[in-house]
Amino acid sequence: MDEEPERAKRWEGGYERTWEVLKEDESGSLKATVEDILFQSKRKRVIENHGQVRLGMMRHLYVLIDCSRSMEDQDLKPNRLASTLKLMEAFVDEYFDQNPISQVGIITTKNKRAEKLTDLAGNPKKHIAALKKAVDTLCVGEPSLYNSLNLAIQTLKHMPGHTSREILIILSSLTTCDPASIYELIKTLKSLKVRVSVIGLSAEVRVCTVLTRETGGSYHVILDESHFRELLMLHVKPPPASSSSECSLIRMGFPQHTIASLTDQGAKPSFSMSHLDNSSGPGLSLEGYFCPQCHAKYTELPVECKVCGLTLVLAPHLARSFHHLFPLQAFTESSVEELQEDRFCQACQGELKDKIIFTCPSCRSVFCVECDLFIHDSLHCCPCCIHSQSTS
Amino acid sequence: MKLNIDGLLVYFPYDYIYPEQYSYMLELKRTLDAKGHGVLEMPSGTGKTISLLSLIVAYQKAFPLEVTKLIYCSRTVPEIEKVVEELRKLMEFYCKQTGESNNFLALALSSRKNLCIHPEVSSLRFGKEVDGKCHSLTASYIRAQRHSDPNLPSCRFYEEFDSVGRQVPLPPGIYNLDDLKDFGRRKGWCPYYLARYSIMHANIVVYSYHYLLDPKIADLVSKELAKKSVVVFDEAHNIDNVCIDSMSVNITRRTLDRCQNNVDTLQNTISKIKETDAAKLKEEYRRLVEGLKEANVARETDVYLANPVLPDEILQEAVPGTIRTAEHFVGFLRRFMEYLKSRLRVHHVVQESTPQFLKDIFEKVCIDRKPLRFCAERLQSLLRTLEIADIADFSAVTLIANFATLVSTYSQGFTIIIEPFEDRTPTIANPVLHFSCMDPSIAIKPVFQRFQSVVITSGTLSPLDIYPRILDFRPVTMASFTMTLARTCLCPLIVGRGNDQVALSSKFETREDFAVIRNYGNLLLEMSAIVPDGIVAFFTSYMYMENIVASWYEQGILENIQRNKLIFIETPDAAETSMALEKYQEACENGRGAILLSVARGKVSEGIDFVHHFGRAVIMFGVPYVYTQSRILKARLEYLRDHFQIRENDFLTFDAMRHAAQCVGRAIRGKTDYGLMIFADKRYARADKRGKLPRWIQEHISDGSLNLTVDEAIQLSKHFLRQMAQPFRQEDQLGLSLLTLEQLESEEVLQKIAKIAHQT
Repeated sequence: MDEEPERAKRWEGGYERTWEVLKEDESGSLKATVEDILFQSKRKRVIENHGQVRLGMMRHLYVLIDCSRSMEDQDLKPNRLASTLKLMEAFVDEYFDQNPISQVGIITTKNKRAEKLTDLAGNPKKHIAALKKAVDTLCVGEPSLYNSLNLAIQTLKHMPGHTSREILIILSSLTTCDPASIYELIKTLKSLKVRVSVIGLSAEVRVCTVLTRETGGSYHVILDESHFRELLMLHVKPPPASSSSECSLIRMGFPQHTIASLTDQGAKPSFSMSHLDNSSGPGLSLEGYFCPQCHAKYTELPVECKVCGLTLVLAPHLARSFHHLFPLQAFTESSVEELQEDRFCQACQGELKDKIIFTCPSCRSVFCVECDLFIHDSLHCCPCCIHSQSTS
Repeated sequence: MKLNIDGLLVYFPYDYIYPEQYSYMLELKRTLDAKGHGVLEMPSGTGKTISLLSLIVAYQKAFPLEVTKLIYCSRTVPEIEKVVEELRKLMEFYCKQTGESNNFLALALSSRKNLCIHPEVSSLRFGKEVDGKCHSLTASYIRAQRHSDPNLPSCRFYEEFDSVGRQVPLPPGIYNLDDLKDFGRRKGWCPYYLARYSIMHANIVVYSYHYLLDPKIADLVSKELAKKSVVVFDEAHNIDNVCIDSMSVNITRRTLDRCQNNVDTLQNTISKIKETDAAKLKEEYRRLVEGLKEANVARETDVYLANPVLPDEILQEAVPGTIRTAEHFVGFLRRFMEYLKSRLRVHHVVQESTPQFLKDIFEKVCIDRKPLRFCAERLQSLLRTLEIADIADFSAVTLIANFATLVSTYSQGFTIIIEPFEDRTPTIANPVLHFSCMDPSIAIKPVFQRFQSVVITSGTLSPLDIYPRILDFRPVTMASFTMTLARTCLCPLIVGRGNDQVALSSKFETREDFAVIRNYGNLLLEMSAIVPDGIVAFFTSYMYMENIVASWYEQGILENIQRNKLIFIETPDAAETSMALEKYQEACENGRGAILLSVARGKVSEGIDFVHHFGRAVIMFGVPYVYTQSRILKARLEYLRDHFQIRENDFLTFDAMRHAAQCVGRAIRGKTDYGLMIFADKRYARADKRGKLPRWIQEHISDGSLNLTVDEAIQLSKHFLRQMAQPFRQEDQLGLSLLTLEQLESEEVLQKIAKIAHQT
């Protein structure tokens, strides 16, 4: 993880008490434990994701972004809103990368109201464009958890039962202004099996604790920007599906990319169906994907056919979602002293400085913590195993 | 789990134990072994109650002859109930482990108001009314009269209890107030008298302080408790004030007027009785001549708790002749009252000692010291003879009689102050005679003398050594325990300056200072933006709070705060306050967030816990010194200096700091809880103030957080709150601040535990 955000100028930073970080601790129980706990949870996350569980692969996720006054706080640079939106762009990208057959929608809340920034859709471009545009929004008033959750429910409750319904709230404010009791709404959410997770930007708020506990989501509060990114990326992985969700076969279309002019000289450029609703973007084109059922044309996949409602995907999309079901085994953890050979990480070739190293159980290669996380989070396969396969 | 505490097998009803609980039990065991008294301080939320109960119960089971009874004194009814629930858990654990059925009797005792099941009486609203009504149904002579006239009203529950209940002891078990009521309803017995009767043979009694400390009640309820008892005063940081209050008397014009009425009634009754039943009065006279011999006999057998109101030597004498006949006594009372009335007609403040007062009363109205001493006793006898049922109406004359006895009995430790008006309203004449006790040891001395072990414990008792001094006893153990933590869940910060470097202080000179008030407002405003859910802010007094809040309103600070959180204010009115509290909790619960503005020494600071989200931060605006201009306080300070060699300033600081600690301690009620403690006054940074905070708070104040500006405090708090919001599970605590039995037995842990207790 070398993409540590660039440090702000000294005078912009908060009060730092660097001398206190170095505090010595005889009893070993007071300081340093919070970091320790964090490290442990990092590891745990890798470990606990392994196991044969059913995952909700088709996800419908609404991200609620708080745009209230407190988002102007400058403890994240340049301010909370800009920082959040930037991370959200990365998140949307990553999300569709890992969950190609899922959808995302974005809702913002400010001034006691909630409004939809983008509808549930499977196309990252639209979301990213909307996020980019949102940087200039004015942050005013208080957020309303009730109104925004309500808005999200309106759409989510119509989603089919086999998909997972999720809401992710990025909450900066410590208060919420609600028109009615939120506890009623939590009951509704629970009955609709909507999983609500919260990432807090400032501190632990009681109502969020209850909300996430009741709906089975997770609740985290950020420490700094890199921790924020980490927490956000946690939500890229599909959550385990609740055992009670229905199973059903899903019809899917696998259209092929065809260029009309190759087969039919007289073909005219045509509009893609997904461009019908927004006039911007490239208009006419010759090539595209044609729905096997109704022959509507799309330039990008995956998409749900506007005409016949069929889910159109490409085989690689399914394959990408597939790896979540067969995750890479956890590497065994051991102390660096036990290692006889050179103390170098097989992946990054850096020296092993930490006390703990990780060994791949099948090829016995040794990795450092960072590489271990990278392999499990992004690569999903051990580079050394792959290497030995190709050479043999 | 089963523990081995210094050779004693202790059953502990939980699977895990905090290291400090273990350490606490060790100290407690030492106290019991030595048959002495102890002062133990352990932070709230670390399971003080259950440690106390499990150790003492184990001790009782192991040495049934050494310790026969546990008397657990707590302050409020909810706290009493909590103790009983813990005890129930413990006893269930015993049953499960040993397989024997429980043979322990433990019960809670409270006033008639909380225990009465009589349909009409229990519906009355005030404790006094209930007592009076009950008395009018159950007093012995009323019942005697009923023999001749069965139509008189009676309480069937009491009658039933009286005829059957005394023969059958209460079956062993754990009874809280509701259990007693249920039992009473089932059997048709009066639960109050049943409980009062049963405490004699109960193994554990849980009741309020007053049953031991207030001489009037202690005489009725607790005087026959066995000497080999262990007495525990929980939440005892205010015990000296309870002692003092129980011995002090305030007399106003209204009291005297009501007393006048009472005396008139007495007079009438006497003349009526004289016509009808003169023999009765004669009988009484005869008894009085014989003196209080009977009472004396009882006292010698050492079962009685000495009544501090009436010292031993009085009992050996006969009631003096001047007040033996009823008319003479009433005349005597009249004279005494007239004298008091004349004393209240003053235009300037008078302060005098009890001998001065006695001399003056002798010169003015020729009342001797001796008859005054017998006043209380004589009045009781008269009331009994006259068969006056409703004693509640006679509270005024009883008060005056008590005053007369006290004033003539004690030449030291009391002072009389007559103020013609209140300090706040110097134009309105409202004369008050304060007869104020300055020596808390007078009330508590019989307890220390009588019972084998007395344990004083609380979350905030620092500095420990001052309690033995002001209560005048010699403890065998004094220890303060820290809280072992897996994460630093409390964050005390001393904010000494505003962002503009103005020193923050509630000092008298800077009280009206605009800059200080503004900076206080700023602090609250900024905190309200970063602290989630509930904030509790304490001011030093209602007056100060009013001034500040008014000024904040003018400056628009309140409006800004309200954008972040709702504001609730504690008022002297109990109903209003409990309403505000309720709404405050609701606002914390549903995410709106709230601030409660309240007052140190108020109801909120003493009895209400703000667990978890109800109190994420406590802000203490200023140092809560007691109102130093009060003459009673001045007299008490003087007394402390002369008799206990405690300097005025030391005591004032001690008193202020214990209240400050009490306030900020409201937020942390356990190890999974976390909270900010903000001391907004630069004086807290001084060593003499800081050093008087409990050790468990003190050790988290680093040198760097002694004199922060508002901004710095905000930065630190933000960081703290984020750290605390990280997931924290029980496994993280295990081995550090939470131990299993195996861990407890390891050598290393035992060494660590030895460091927890801090002997003084």
